[in-house]
Amino acid sequence: METLSFHYHLQIRFDQPVHDHHFTLRCFPQSDSRQRIDNLQTAVYPNEFITDSYDSFGNHCVMGRAGQPHNRFTADVTGVAFTGLSESVPAGNPWREHLFRQQTHLTYPDAQLVAFADSLPVYSSALDTAQAVMEAVADAIVYTSGVTNVDTTAAEAFALKKGVCQDYSHMMLSVLREQKIMARYVVGMLMGEGLSHAWVEVKDGDSWYGFDPTNRIRVSDQHIKISHGRDYRDCRINQGHFYGYGTQTQEISVSVQRKEA
Amino acid sequence: MNNFDLLDRTDTINGLLARYGVKFGIYKNGTFKEQLFPFDAIPRVIEKEEFAYLERGLKQRVAALNLFLKDIYNEKKIVKDGVVPEDFVYAASGYLVPCEGVTPPKGVFSHISGIDLVLGKDGVWYILEDNLRVPSGASYPMIARELCRRASPRTFNETPIEDNRNYAQLLKHTLDYVNTGGLSVVMTPGRYNAAYFEHSYLAEQMRVPLVTYSDLEVENDYLYFKGYAGRKERVGAVYRRISDEYMDPMTFNPESVIGVPHIFDVYRKGNVALLNAPGNGIADDKGIYYFVPKMIKYYLGEEPILHNAPTYLPFYEEDMKYVLEKFDTLVLKDVAEAGGYGVVFGSKMTKAEKEKFIAMLKAEPRRFIAQEVIDFCDIPIQDRGQVVERKVDLRAFVLTAEEPVVWKSGLTRFSRNPDSFIVNSSQGGGFKDTWVLSQ
Repeated sequence: METLSFHYHLQIRFDQPVHDHHFTLRCFPQSDSRQRIDNLQTAVYPNEFITDSYDSFGNHCVMGRAGQPHNRFTADVTGVAFTGLSESVPAGNPWREHLFRQQTHLTYPDAQLVAFADSLPVYSSALDTAQAVMEAVADAIVYTSGVTNVDTTAAEAFALKKGVCQDYSHMMLSVLREQKIMARYVVGMLMGEGLSHAWVEVKDGDSWYGFDPTNRIRVSDQHIKISHGRDYRDCRINQGHFYGYGTQTQEISVSVQRKEA
Repeated sequence: MNNFDLLDRTDTINGLLARYGVKFGIYKNGTFKEQLFPFDAIPRVIEKEEFAYLERGLKQRVAALNLFLKDIYNEKKIVKDGVVPEDFVYAASGYLVPCEGVTPPKGVFSHISGIDLVLGKDGVWYILEDNLRVPSGASYPMIARELCRRASPRTFNETPIEDNRNYAQLLKHTLDYVNTGGLSVVMTPGRYNAAYFEHSYLAEQMRVPLVTYSDLEVENDYLYFKGYAGRKERVGAVYRRISDEYMDPMTFNPESVIGVPHIFDVYRKGNVALLNAPGNGIADDKGIYYFVPKMIKYYLGEEPILHNAPTYLPFYEEDMKYVLEKFDTLVLKDVAEAGGYGVVFGSKMTKAEKEKFIAMLKAEPRRFIAQEVIDFCDIPIQDRGQVVERKVDLRAFVLTAEEPVVWKSGLTRFSRNPDSFIVNSSQGGGFKDTWVLSQ
């Protein structure tokens, strides 16, 4: 068990002012059986209103509008997480969760990825299978930033043999779903990472267990979960819709530190 | 029946329809064109008893479809009990994940249902498809009846016809019933939508504002109409004639510039009613159509009153075998297409086309349904001074507030081409008034 303090910082700069900017932020860890979140503070600027919303996966969102012209948009989320309280989180409606067996546009495998999936051992326990898939995926790609982007599919990353946490996770999801195992994409924070992180949850029996293929480890008390969904697209941290010309640059920094007693 | 003076005035009526802008738009090669929707004055007549039978069947069907939608986005009992296979739900394009766990105001999903039927030469009515997203077409018989009454008042005094001029009233009640507080409005994607005439006509007839995305705005947890003078008024019900995909860029297609950002969040919180409910596409999916009679038994414990056209799902091995055997006698439909597109007749394919199609069918069996070709009855129309027989269908409108109500009229569409079974207006057909007799 750990007590971690976290600070999630998002900044978007627009080189020309934008207006009527509607946003939905999805960067708020919630308490569950694995983690307890305390003292959650949110600051979003500029805004004319902000309000809470929950998506169909139960992820906590904050939505709002910044109507007046602005060049900069920031969100800061801070709090304390008590992690490692349990190894798993309980499952919901099993029939709804069958959804996590379906491939999505980002996880849909091509022939090469299907062949890769077929070459892996399948054990009677989903957790043992997932362990083997995680190791195989971690062996199949070399962590390389800047070669893939948010639209890169699992099949593309597999062909490149390169990628970041998002690609590792999509590949692992693709293989697991090919094996008819329910698996979902998770966004969160990891101690020492500096950026937001992504990993995978696998359903075994009545619980979901975390696997972090990028680091080849089971999810531990160093991980703070933010959201889950079918793939990256369900877990977008920031969505915006605005009017104006010009381009935006986004900057994210995450700090997770062991809280001194 | 004496309606000769009505028939003599066909040209006058068509002239008036053109003047009132009764048109539908189509996009061809990237340009927007508006076409008149040709009206034929020979009415489609449905006897009182026959319509009463249709009414019972339609109410039953729509009630079951509503229960299916509620179940599929919540408990999923029908999947759990093995009546509808999981693959037909989660893999369907009409199934929308954001609608999971959302129950719309008063539990109504399909407020306005357009159910397409045909009368077979065997005297049996068959359901061709259910339209539970944004079914259009009610405005055409509404205005046509109005103009016919003016052109030939005698016809309507002397014939016992159900008055169909209550559609706007029924629709307004449907909106008000689910309204969560505030205005009821009609939302159009805009001037260049295929059914813009209908949007403006229905708003006018109901005396509610006709709005586009720029007139609506979300603030905190509510939706507001921004009046021309800058005053904001809360909106409690939106009869939106915009598809799910474009309705809210924050939840659906992020590229949409004709939607209202965050309208879906307000809806999810129960603070506005959207008619029809987002996510209804799962129930009018061509693949799900096969299961509607099973749904009626499952949810209502009743035998279906109205029949589906005999349908096969190549997804099931047994059906695939039948489809390959009887390929030449069947019509095949791509479940992802609408508006008469993606429909092919086995008998009309060349050998090469057939081989290609069968390969596709085997590769993606879930994507297609096969149906027996129904020989539907012909009905007389006037064509350049002559009376000829053409194929027709009927779109019945079922409005659901407290319970489903069938509008005593409907849109009868005919195909202008004597060899065609496809009557969709986007394929060049025309329409007739539908008379439901009251005696």
